[in-house]
Amino acid sequence: MIRLKNILPKAFLFGIVEMVDISGVEKTYEWITTLGTKLAEIEGPGFEGAWEDDVNYLPICPFGNELIDFIHIHGSEIPSQFTELMNYVNRQKDESDEPWNYPALVSVLGILRHSYVTRRAKMAKAQVYNVGSKSVVNNIKVYNEEAIEKARMTKEQVSKILDRAFCVYKVEYLED
Amino acid sequence: MNFPEAAKIYENSVKILKENQHEKGGYYASPPGTRYPFIYPRDHSVDILGAIDAGLLDEAKKGLEFVLNAQKPLGEFSQRYDVDGNDASYKDLQIDGNGLVLFAMGKYFEATGASFFDEMADREFVEKYWEQVSKAVDFILMNKNEEVDLIHTINSIHEYPAYEHGFEIYANCACCAGILAAVKMGESIGKDVSEWKVEAEKIKESILTRLYSPRRRSFIKCIRVKDRNSKPIGYDAFASTVIDVDVVEYSPAYFELLSDHDVKIRSTVKRIHEKLWDKEIGGLNRYPEYWGRNNGGYGPWCHFTCQLANHYAEVDNLDMAEMYLGWVVDMAHNQMLPEHVSTIERFELWLEDYSNAKILRDSKLTMIENVRSHSKWKDGLAYVTIPLIWPHAEYIRAYRNFVNKFDNEYSFK
Repeated sequence: MIRLKNILPKAFLFGIVEMVDISGVEKTYEWITTLGTKLAEIEGPGFEGAWEDDVNYLPICPFGNELIDFIHIHGSEIPSQFTELMNYVNRQKDESDEPWNYPALVSVLGILRHSYVTRRAKMAKAQVYNVGSKSVVNNIKVYNEEAIEKARMTKEQVSKILDRAFCVYKVEYLED
Repeated sequence: MNFPEAAKIYENSVKILKENQHEKGGYYASPPGTRYPFIYPRDHSVDILGAIDAGLLDEAKKGLEFVLNAQKPLGEFSQRYDVDGNDASYKDLQIDGNGLVLFAMGKYFEATGASFFDEMADREFVEKYWEQVSKAVDFILMNKNEEVDLIHTINSIHEYPAYEHGFEIYANCACCAGILAAVKMGESIGKDVSEWKVEAEKIKESILTRLYSPRRRSFIKCIRVKDRNSKPIGYDAFASTVIDVDVVEYSPAYFELLSDHDVKIRSTVKRIHEKLWDKEIGGLNRYPEYWGRNNGGYGPWCHFTCQLANHYAEVDNLDMAEMYLGWVVDMAHNQMLPEHVSTIERFELWLEDYSNAKILRDSKLTMIENVRSHSKWKDGLAYVTIPLIWPHAEYIRAYRNFVNKFDNEYSFK
């Protein structure tokens, strides 16, 4: 199942595990966020996925295959380092004055996705709120309640979209 | 059919099988110094099946030991190995190998017991290799899509992802049959294999419904899906079906998930015969010519023709069985069987296509030279890779089955 030509996603995920062990959760969070931001700047302004009015969503999980493959080769368990990192981000969100700017996190790859989406949106002069996400591993839905409030949506609306999506963003274009 | 010649080819097939097993147990795909001097679990497993039918149980066991010891840590059997069992693969996942190894092991286990199964079956062997069996099944299930309960692969029997990437019929039948064989072996040594049984039944049900087209009255080749875990698969970039005829649409019967008498199998075989029996030189092609991957020239394959000969013998259509097996007998050269046969015209057409498209690999040059220098070239035929061991194994199985049926038929008259 591991071939050199498909080793990079697995190497990245193992890299996160190693990075948490070597440098801790704070540095790892910064590192992943930087990667997402830099890649967004290469790609430029814009959005990816399907639209429903001003809601942008991803009907398929962009890293689903790679994540599930990784969990399989990791003895069918999510590495404890992933959990530590997600707990750290969620704590940061709870302690923040702007919790709506954080992702609704279902996996560590949500950090990469969110920094990438947010930066591309910002370049497109838009503010995005990650109102909800769904886990590709166990289908559990996770919400960012503050983001939902900021987006003037309801949890039920988000849940309905999540039935056919993995990640939901409310998009608000900023005035010049 | 030339019966004396058919018998000689049988004898030589057994000899070839013996001669092409390396001392460490691996069956070469083709003899050392020829095109495929490696051990491919797919070919190797069919060779083991041939050895079992020829009564070479020690050789079959040795072959199984070789491949089971070469299993990769996650439970996968590689595309190919060197004679020492080192991974020598150059292709993506070919999960049918996992199914085939288990299926062949199950056949060996049955054969060691035969009529005295309870007293004689080689349980010690199954116990010794239970960890490998277990990992092989886990690896198959790791590649199952939960939305459709089918096994995902990139390559299957033709090693041609353009038509096989996704939920492909041969790979699914092999894997399903492999798990069912593991269930039988597990039950006979007192293991709890109930979960595997449930999973195998789900896969089987899915093969019989999602990979069968009632309107075409045929099994279909593949549901193309790029990523195994696309959720939902309807949004996958490749999402489509391959409904062209392929000789391996016969797989549900080959792997004993359905009887050869089943109407779904009979109508599928009818379509295969109508569309793939070669009108010019006889024999069974593997897929339509327009798929465009016809190395050595489009033409019929001996081992697929043997498989369908077996089907016709099973359903007591001995005329058709004789036509199929008789063609293989006619194509043998010095009692050896090639991978496939083409005509000079088709060979040159393929060469032109591949040369113009600049996709002719250097490795094909030896094959081209061998085809042109073979004595059959003067008869207007291109013999590609001779001998290939796989068709000899399939010939052993088809010949024995045919002779048994034929003898029974005449003993009733």
